Amino acid sequence: MAITATADAASTSPATTSSANTSAVRKKTPQELLRVEGITKVYDGSVKAVDNISLTVATGEIFALLGGSGCGKSTLLRMLAGFEKPTNGKIFLAGKDITDIPAYKRPINMMFQSYALFPHLTVWENIAFGLRRDDMAKPDIAERVESMLGLVQLTKFAQRKPHQLSGGQQQRVALARSLAKRPKLLLLDEPLGALDKKLREKTQLELVNIIEEVGVTCVLVTHDQEEAMTMASRIAVMSEGSFMQVGSPDEVYEMPNSRQVADFIGNVNIFDGVIEEDESDHVTIRCEECLHYVGHGISGNTGMSVGVALRPEKIMLSKEQPTNGYNWCAGEVIEIVYFGAHTTYHLKLDSGKVIKAQELNNTRDLSCGLTWGDRAYAHWNDMAMVVLTH
Amino acid sequence: MTNIFNYLRNHIPGRQIVIGVPYLWFLLLAAIPLLIVLKISLSEMESTSVSSMISWTQGWPTIKLNFASYIFLSTDPLYFETYLSSIKYALVTTIICLAIGYPFAYFMARSPKHLQPMLLMLIMLPFWTSFLLRIYAWKTLMVNNGVINNVLISLGIINDPIAMMNTPFSLLVGMVYSYLPFMILPLYANLSKLDVRYLEAAADLGTSPFRTFWLVTIPLSKAGIIAGSMLVFIPAVGEYVIPELLGGPDTLMIGRVLWDEFFSNNDWPMASAVAVVMILLILLPMAIFNKYQSDQLEAKS
Repeated sequence: MAITATADAASTSPATTSSANTSAVRKKTPQELLRVEGITKVYDGSVKAVDNISLTVATGEIFALLGGSGCGKSTLLRMLAGFEKPTNGKIFLAGKDITDIPAYKRPINMMFQSYALFPHLTVWENIAFGLRRDDMAKPDIAERVESMLGLVQLTKFAQRKPHQLSGGQQQRVALARSLAKRPKLLLLDEPLGALDKKLREKTQLELVNIIEEVGVTCVLVTHDQEEAMTMASRIAVMSEGSFMQVGSPDEVYEMPNSRQVADFIGNVNIFDGVIEEDESDHVTIRCEECLHYVGHGISGNTGMSVGVALRPEKIMLSKEQPTNGYNWCAGEVIEIVYFGAHTTYHLKLDSGKVIKAQELNNTRDLSCGLTWGDRAYAHWNDMAMVVLTH
Repeated sequence: MTNIFNYLRNHIPGRQIVIGVPYLWFLLLAAIPLLIVLKISLSEMESTSVSSMISWTQGWPTIKLNFASYIFLSTDPLYFETYLSSIKYALVTTIICLAIGYPFAYFMARSPKHLQPMLLMLIMLPFWTSFLLRIYAWKTLMVNNGVINNVLISLGIINDPIAMMNTPFSLLVGMVYSYLPFMILPLYANLSKLDVRYLEAAADLGTSPFRTFWLVTIPLSKAGIIAGSMLVFIPAVGEYVIPELLGGPDTLMIGRVLWDEFFSNNDWPMASAVAVVMILLILLPMAIFNKYQSDQLEAKS
């Protein structure tokens, strides 16, 4: 009763302080499940595969490690699984130090990129494999295996051997096997890498649904940005053994903290320029190609050189010159790339810089009016850019 | 020059040569000699030569088949015992080779990649010396005043020489020594292709390294184990040299019996009959092996 009273109070008096608000809505702070402190992995004395990485993952989170080949994401995952020993640093799982515990004793399970299903065992036996090591009673094992098979919808395939299944089915068996022991932490190594595009799209959502249904915390490794952004609740962009940025998918995409991150995820146009006007509610940046008017304040001073990151889908194209004096530039259409749902136009600006602008094909007549060689004007609004200092 | 080449290419069908030549070779050098042995086994010995199978009477050929050798084989208990003994020694050899060879092969397969060619060479090196000489070498090692006994006596570990020669022990030493590479090589070939990720997956699922070995490594190396076992067992059954040089009166092996029938008794039909029965005995494991291999290939496709 007391709770409803304060809730009413909070809703009827908007001027109440924030402390009253939080007492009305009991927020459950996410429990930390995995903590990695200062992990480093050095090979052969000089090659630093993982460089002093620290991170925390909360219970129920799906955390993605995103990066290109050789950035150290797989090495980090293998250290979490216990297949590699970190040169330095510690790993804590639910508060317990597991750095020196061998892989087979950790309550962590991994789904391998190649699935690694035991070829000499049936699907049923593959899933039951880990359960048998735990000395579970036979009927309990059977019950768990059956529930796993139901979860991934492979009940009819229980007696088949892995080589008799399709790629997608094998992947589901691998998932069932990794979830069978109800691990505290699930590691996924490029889970959708081996599937074709249609299957990948379908499986992405299915996978997330299953993981959320089971309620297991997940760390996933991928080089595919789409996979990371659709599946994860938080992404860590990795390069050369360290994290460049950690945040939710929209944070990492719309608010990159550096040119490297902005360039890594999706497409981006970066203009180099100098801050001309620096006010609390707007900033203007003079670039060679155009004048940017950014509709919010930034931490910087006049005269500072910055980069302005602008994503292609935020740019609008027209044949007429915009009337205002900022946030537009002109160029020649040198390339048109048709993707079906959208089209990317490559515009060569007067300064020689080539920018990409993406237009949605929301009519079927395939003519936004622009063709190769046309002079076009690209314009964008004042909240579309991100100012980057490094 | 090109004209000759074109002529050859157009008139000699390539595919038929590629299949035909080895087929002909097999026919002349393997199938026909087997048939000759079969023929001899069904004939009689006439003083120094074998009687002819086909005799002509009144213009019509009659084929005389003499089954006396086979009848004698089936009635005399010695032959039956010898066959059994041969199989027994071949089986024991195979098992010991597996027990010794598997760790060898496993160690080789898990060694750093740059060391593996050298380890392989070390296994193969004995093959470069004469087989006969190597078996003789074991004789000089194991004989009563041989190297092993002399060393042990001089060290004071024993006073009288251990009688090792001409016993089942010396036979098995020779057999295992000779056939070990045949077990190691197929096992190594199989184990080196074993995907480490299976072992990682097993560890990830909570299996200790010891149990991973029994539950994952051994089943996945089944093909190698069977190949190695066949390569040891089948020739070992009919082995002659090792039982002759290192074996004794209580190591009955069919190879020696065959030799005695052929050279000591000069009974060609008998010897041939012994050989034919031995081939039939080996055909069973070979058929099993063949079936297993073709099943494997089918499963892979």
